[in-house]
Amino acid sequence: MAPGVPQGERIAAVSAQFVSAASLRVRSDWFNKLRWGAALGVLVGSAAAGLFSASAPLIVPLVAIGVLLLLLNAGYVIRNRRIRPRDIVAELRLVKMQMVADLVLLTAVLHFTGGVENPFQFIYIVHVIIASLLFKGREIFQIAWLAIGLFTLMVLGEHLGPLHHHHLLSASDLTHELPYMLMSLGSVWLVLLTSAYIGASIMHHNRSIKDELVDRQGGLVEAGKAQLDFFRFVTHEVKSPIVTAQSAVEAARELLEEGAEPVVRDMLDRAVRRLTQALGIVRDLADLTQGRMAAAPHWTDVDLALIVARTLEQQQESMAARGLTLEADLPTAPLTVYGDEGMIEKVVVNLLNNAVRYNRDGGSVSVTLVPTGDGVRFAVADTGIGIAGDDLERIFDEFYRAPEAREMTNVGTGLGLPIVRRFLQQMGGAVEVTSTPGQGSLFTVTLPKKHGAR
Amino acid sequence: MPQRTILVIDDDIDLVEIIRVTLENEGYGVIDAQSGARGLELAREMTPDLIILDVMMGQVDEGFQVAYELRKGDSTRDIPIIMLTAVADQTGFAFDPGKDSDFLPVNEFVEKPISPRQLIDKIRKHLPTEV
Repeated sequence: MAPGVPQGERIAAVSAQFVSAASLRVRSDWFNKLRWGAALGVLVGSAAAGLFSASAPLIVPLVAIGVLLLLLNAGYVIRNRRIRPRDIVAELRLVKMQMVADLVLLTAVLHFTGGVENPFQFIYIVHVIIASLLFKGREIFQIAWLAIGLFTLMVLGEHLGPLHHHHLLSASDLTHELPYMLMSLGSVWLVLLTSAYIGASIMHHNRSIKDELVDRQGGLVEAGKAQLDFFRFVTHEVKSPIVTAQSAVEAARELLEEGAEPVVRDMLDRAVRRLTQALGIVRDLADLTQGRMAAAPHWTDVDLALIVARTLEQQQESMAARGLTLEADLPTAPLTVYGDEGMIEKVVVNLLNNAVRYNRDGGSVSVTLVPTGDGVRFAVADTGIGIAGDDLERIFDEFYRAPEAREMTNVGTGLGLPIVRRFLQQMGGAVEVTSTPGQGSLFTVTLPKKHGAR
Repeated sequence: MPQRTILVIDDDIDLVEIIRVTLENEGYGVIDAQSGARGLELAREMTPDLIILDVMMGQVDEGFQVAYELRKGDSTRDIPIIMLTAVADQTGFAFDPGKDSDFLPVNEFVEKPISPRQLIDKIRKHLPTEV
């Protein structure tokens, strides 16, 4: 998204531009569909009229109007396909001209089909309603007044003589009955103006609600960003002293060498452990905030098979220390997914770390990596403490650690799985877990070959 | 054998002290600078045998800028540089000296927090003890 463009669609703020060019186009395409229906309606209606009664002089202009509407609409459709919706003012002007043409053609159809006698005169309402979807207050009334004007001119023209009156069916000549004509005019005026008023009010109300929502959303986005900046600042500021303190303790331990009393060495070891843990939390937090930055990921084709193999190699030592057996089913050829290499590596490392950390001594870790239709599936199974049903969802909450996990080790930040889930979501993937408490867990990751998430 | 001198450029004074104690304990002479500009001055004046450089001081990439300047100067071009990084946590980039060395003019990276053993090993690699 370009800088400075607020999220969502601004409406009332910029005078004429209460709709975006793109959203106006969506509606314009929809009206074009309606117009096909109208043109076909005119043609079918004139064919039906030809079958039943009316004379050729009546049918010919009606068919001509129907064909003209078809041609015009074909032009509109082609134009919409060719020209991208960019300039909202030009789009609005075009839609308004189309609506004027529609009203003129409707009046012509009514003229050839009985004028004031034709009950289809109320189709004008459709135009007023459409206008209220597209335009604002004054412009809606302009359309309503145009419809009223055209209809009134036609009716008066037929009543007073300049226009020839075509009878609808064989009814009596209503256009020359003054009371009927006036009542008909009056009802059309009333209905059209009322529609315009109601349409304008409802749409005004809707637009102000939408504006408010857009404003609030903008505020939330701003607040989120400020929070994120603060978060990043804090993690950085906290990390530096921890790093320095840990370096100091390690240096002290090194300087003491074997000379120190066991108690002192043990204290220093504990200090290093606690500082490592604190640093882990800060690093994971930094990862999480990184993951939230939409601009941070670097999308490429990534060979997941290579990353898994590399990570397994790194884990060999810690697995051997726990007496764990590895059962790996990995493809020999590269298996690419589309994503951020650093994020994918984090996912693999975190899952394998967990499989080792929460396993029982002498257990096993099974790793499988297989291609699926449109992506890959990567699964890590362990023979460890497992996860109770209630915790299956909560382990993805930030800072949550299952009681069994806490009991087993105080290493662990409660951020590993939230990071896994967030990173995968960002790359259009997902993670699922099944587990039998006391027997082990199975984490299954899916990642698409092509990025389709955003 | 004359004493080898190592220049430590880092704005974290505590970390500088830790490195100083570690290195002096191993028999190296240590000079230090708390800013990139001062570090460059000292490097030109004293031509140390090795430079330990923090990647991130006042600015995010101040360390890199210093390294480039060092590589440009005739008297400083051949001094081995060990860069201290915590970059991975800051920018999301994990620097790999093997892969990135063509655009990062340093010889070695040491990830913070510093393990004294690792640091000494890397220094020895670039300053072989003369026999």
